[in-house]
Amino acid sequence: MEKDLSRRDFLKNAGLIGLGAGTLLSSVPWMSALAQENTSKTVGEKVRIGIIGPGSRGRFLMNFIKKNSKAEIVALCDIYQPSIDEALKIAPKAKVYDDYRKLLEDKNIDAVFITTPLYLHYPMAMDALDAGKDLYLEKSMAYNVAQCFDLYQKYKSTGRIFFVGQQRLFDPRYLKAMEMIHEGRFGEIQAVRTFWFRNGSWRNKVSDPSLERLRNWRLYKEYSRGLLTELGGHLLQVGTWAMQKLPEQVMGAGGITFWKDGREVWDNVSCIFSMDDGRRITYESVISNKFYGLEEQIMGNLGTVEPEKGMYYYESGTKDGSPAKPAPGFMQMMTDVQNRIFEKLPFAGTSWEPEVAKDVKGNYIMGEDYKITTDGTQEAINAFIESVITQKQPERIAEECYYASAMVLLGYDAVEQGKILTFPHEYRLNYLNHKHQAKQTL
Amino acid sequence: MKETVITVRRKKIEIWTLVVCFVIANLVNVYAIQKFDTPWNELFWSLGYVVTTTVVIYCIWSVIRLVVYGIIGLFRKKRR
Ligand SMILES: NC(=O)c1ccc[n+]([C@@H]2O[C@H](COP(=O)([O-])OP(=O)(O)OC[C@H]3O[C@@H](n4cnc5c(N)ncnc54)[C@H](O)[C@@H]3O)[C@@H](O)[C@H]2O)c1
Repeated sequence: MEKDLSRRDFLKNAGLIGLGAGTLLSSVPWMSALAQENTSKTVGEKVRIGIIGPGSRGRFLMNFIKKNSKAEIVALCDIYQPSIDEALKIAPKAKVYDDYRKLLEDKNIDAVFITTPLYLHYPMAMDALDAGKDLYLEKSMAYNVAQCFDLYQKYKSTGRIFFVGQQRLFDPRYLKAMEMIHEGRFGEIQAVRTFWFRNGSWRNKVSDPSLERLRNWRLYKEYSRGLLTELGGHLLQVGTWAMQKLPEQVMGAGGITFWKDGREVWDNVSCIFSMDDGRRITYESVISNKFYGLEEQIMGNLGTVEPEKGMYYYESGTKDGSPAKPAPGFMQMMTDVQNRIFEKLPFAGTSWEPEVAKDVKGNYIMGEDYKITTDGTQEAINAFIESVITQKQPERIAEECYYASAMVLLGYDAVEQGKILTFPHEYRLNYLNHKHQAKQTL
Repeated sequence: MKETVITVRRKKIEIWTLVVCFVIANLVNVYAIQKFDTPWNELFWSLGYVVTTTVVIYCIWSVIRLVVYGIIGLFRKKRR
């Protein structure tokens, strides 16, 4: 009962109760998995779950799985004993494996969560789908675009349930923000500027040098694509979701500028993803300065949304976006006279006044009293579990996740090669403005 | 301290000067309303700006008069 209430609160907060089912499901069809009429039919069911790689993220997810009465964690697989020990504290009855293939052979497992380092996503996910398991794979989907495409095809051919850890798709702030954006409240979205700044080395302390690569896999190219796949994918997915359009090209630059500690992945990177009409999504990360934190600034000609802060602002500066009342004629004339006098100053051009950001208080996406209680991870997991029970893959979720990963991976290649890269037609899905073209027909 | 007497003529001149300044300020407002195409009720709602401008014009005019009378006075003294 309590769980059902919190689910209701979530839907209410996201503005998803009271909306016509059509409105909701056409823009965020993946939410159908959490619709009351569907979840009530699955009461009493139990999904048996195996966790592959219960490290830091894996255990975080396990805590959410435990909160869902329709699932139980029955197996774990890791090659690092401390991870197993910690995971067993959450799921003491789980069977332990040291080889993921053995876990996949276990007929008592319906679905697996793969939360291993990036380079292992592709082989493990392919094997899991081949073994007939439904799959929740942590982001990013794979190590390069070709692998992502292959994995997407495997999901299609096996017909298994397939989610990737893009939890913003279920975050109430984002759902509400997107509803407002797609209603046109901020005009046409002209650009999305995203950034994720931190000040930290991103390094785990290791007791034994032989564990360096296992524990700090993120820092080495062999296992990881660095900031782009670890952080950038989340932000880019928000950008394309807001614009309802996929970029054609990407260019970028990156380097190791501060943390020169033997790592191989950039600690300072930036990419521009451009659409065919010139609109852009930009992404930037620096991990030696965290002043600006994390944000996706979604900029329409009528207003701006900052979902991470939970705020939106109108260009007019008014609360409801109505055009600002013009100043009285008398004041306008005074300003005019003043401008003319100052324009004549020999040391100043017309733009001598600094155009600093507008200091507008803005409006709360979820209302002033809203307290952040979820980042969408619990709901993403609940939706996955519901889908496993009903065996209905929610629409668009795999495609959103595919592009979130494939785009940043292409960004990685663009930075690495120092080139402007076009999204390969053979790796496009028939999704939004992208059309797939098989290689030989090009 | 010396007693000063403000004559009736002086008072009349100052009041009329103030009235002229007020009229000028209103004319400026009319011009601004026309130029920036704002509502005519600003003739009333912008009275605050108009009164302030009246005082500013009056002060500027007073300063000009003080300077001019000062110079004329100086010349007269010299001639005497
Ligand atoms: N969605 C999100 O917001 C989010 C947040 C953090 C991490 N992640 C993703 O989760 C994944 C894991 O990240 P993490 O921070 O938990 O890393 P981690 O290093 O803490 O955990 C990885 C685990 O995988 C285990 N592992 C390595 N090789 C294995 C193998 N061959 N077989 C079985 N287990 C193996 C490791 O021992 C470790 O326990 C990454 O892909 C990361 O990008 C996603």
